[in-house]
Amino acid sequence: MKTLVVGLGNPILTDDGVGVKVAYAVRDALASAGLPGVTVTEASVGGLHLMEMMAGYDRVILVDAIQTQTGQSGAVYSLTLGDVAAATPTQHSASAHDMNLPTALEMGRRLGLALPDTVEIFAIEVEDVVTFGESCTRAVNAAIPVATELVLRSLAEGPPTSHQEEGI
Amino acid sequence: MMKRITIDPITRLEGHGKIEIFLDDQGEVKDTHFVIPELRGFEVFCVGRPAEEMPRITQRICGVCPEAHHMAATKALDDLYHVEPPRAAKKLRELFYMAFYVTDHTTHFYALGGPDFVVGPDAPKYERNVLGVIAKVGLEVGSQVIACRKRNHEVIKMLGGRHIHPVAGLPGGWSKAMTKADREEVEEIARQNVEFAKFTLQVVNDVVLSNPAYVDLITSDAYTQPIYYMGLVDDKNRVNFYDGKVRVVDPEGKEFCKYGPHEYTEHIAEHVEPWSYLKYPFLKNVGWKGFVPGKDSGMYCATPLSRLNAADGMATPLAQAEYERFYQTLGGKPVHHTLATHWARVIELLYAAERMLELVQDAEITDPQVRLIPTQTPTEGVGIVEAPRGTLTHHYVTDERGILTKVNLVVGTTNNYAPITLSIKKAAAGLIQKGTVITDGLLNKVEMAFRAYDPCFSCATHSLPGQMPLEVVVRDAQGNVVKRLSQHV
Repeated sequence: MKTLVVGLGNPILTDDGVGVKVAYAVRDALASAGLPGVTVTEASVGGLHLMEMMAGYDRVILVDAIQTQTGQSGAVYSLTLGDVAAATPTQHSASAHDMNLPTALEMGRRLGLALPDTVEIFAIEVEDVVTFGESCTRAVNAAIPVATELVLRSLAEGPPTSHQEEGI
Repeated sequence: MMKRITIDPITRLEGHGKIEIFLDDQGEVKDTHFVIPELRGFEVFCVGRPAEEMPRITQRICGVCPEAHHMAATKALDDLYHVEPPRAAKKLRELFYMAFYVTDHTTHFYALGGPDFVVGPDAPKYERNVLGVIAKVGLEVGSQVIACRKRNHEVIKMLGGRHIHPVAGLPGGWSKAMTKADREEVEEIARQNVEFAKFTLQVVNDVVLSNPAYVDLITSDAYTQPIYYMGLVDDKNRVNFYDGKVRVVDPEGKEFCKYGPHEYTEHIAEHVEPWSYLKYPFLKNVGWKGFVPGKDSGMYCATPLSRLNAADGMATPLAQAEYERFYQTLGGKPVHHTLATHWARVIELLYAAERMLELVQDAEITDPQVRLIPTQTPTEGVGIVEAPRGTLTHHYVTDERGILTKVNLVVGTTNNYAPITLSIKKAAAGLIQKGTVITDGLLNKVEMAFRAYDPCFSCATHSLPGQMPLEVVVRDAQGNVVKRLSQHV
């Protein structure tokens, strides 16, 4: 199964880059463990571009920063695209400049692009995404190994079968 | 007492615009505020780093136009190190930049601005998106948009060295020359771009200009404001995205000033409002007179429409013909109709495609000499390009080792904060009168006033929640919420 892991965010904007940091931790872990067919990358792009990146993969895992109304900084969530479409979007799964990811994926499917059946999202509750800086805040930093482990476990176990991304 | 309408993001930190509309007791629009959160500490982040890192750092500010920051930063470095790049390097940079413009303007027209016209301003909001555009104009159009983006992303990667964040810009040139095989490939891509741009103009013609209701909307008073216009021009005063002088024309279309990068602080100052973190650039030599249009107000805008207004023409033949048709159709120069910005953007798309073809057919483009190694001591540098969303200025000061001591950026959309605020006010005042029932369609028409600017706040604020979540809150004279609407822009 051709799998893509994308860390989303801006690595010079304090907590905003946490997804990118998790992705690189996943890549480092995979380099020693070895897991064929997995590509790890980073991006700071929104819906349309992200959809284009996904073309040709069977499975995609996104790691992103999120801010919810009552969330605790450093909390890690496992989300589906349905959650994203229905609730507060994660920081990067959509873009101000084009369209959100569910719309972009719908467009891609209508155009006949080979898009993954499964898109999983791991999101880390963040605190500061408006200050330039290369390090995350304390609680978010502590969440990096937690989120990394969740991604690695998910990669090892295979995609979830209970919630397919239909009807978005 | 005033009533208050607020268009507000779902959460503060999603980095998006909040529009507040204040009504008076009669239910007429009294004032509007346009507020977005601002990023902090960019200068502090940069100071102490080598200036050479700026083309790679500044493009990280924004996920939407990294290429524009990369280019402005690279040009600022040429200036900082007192080095003139070889001609082939300049042409490669511009070629790369045209590929970026083609993708960016294409995306805006079909995904962001287009739905208002192609699907219709009063269409249900769930149809007013790219899927609605495809449903109306055909699936084939969607495939063409994706294909256009794909082939130009390939050019950006080929010339810029990386898919998303390019690395090729260096003080004194470009990191790699173009091979003959690459040149042939890009020539074919440029040809396809010209055809696609022509096709897009046809869409504008068939869907927008052939519909009298849309033409009335575009030319209506609610979307019209005479202000100053800014744009980069070449030595013949034609639109240029990569290089030249900044030209500003007054609301009557007469040249007000023309300046080189180093003179920008003599012409531009920034106004601060207590209700916003934003700074509002204005023309220093006219002065800040508030959010009002006209010749006595220092407000200016920097958009596709303003670039056309600030220039005497386009440097390529097909774009020039369309430029002439634009002004003939809309009643002469300058055009003050904000919504005409969409058409202007498509004319720029055609120019970028034609210019790309011109550059790639230039025999010099494959010249291996693409870098001059700087030998002088760095001091101070300013680089200006036209970003798709407005004139972009990077200004660096370093010590003699090239370590940054001062950094100032005036980013594209920033130029337009004041006119966006005014456009929203004008549209709101034109559409909301005493007793007006505020509907989705009406809210969308207010938003259309600022969507025309292709506003991107990723430079000023970063986070990207996508479709811009907005909320309209209508408050009564006591400040109580009496109605709330929300939608995605």
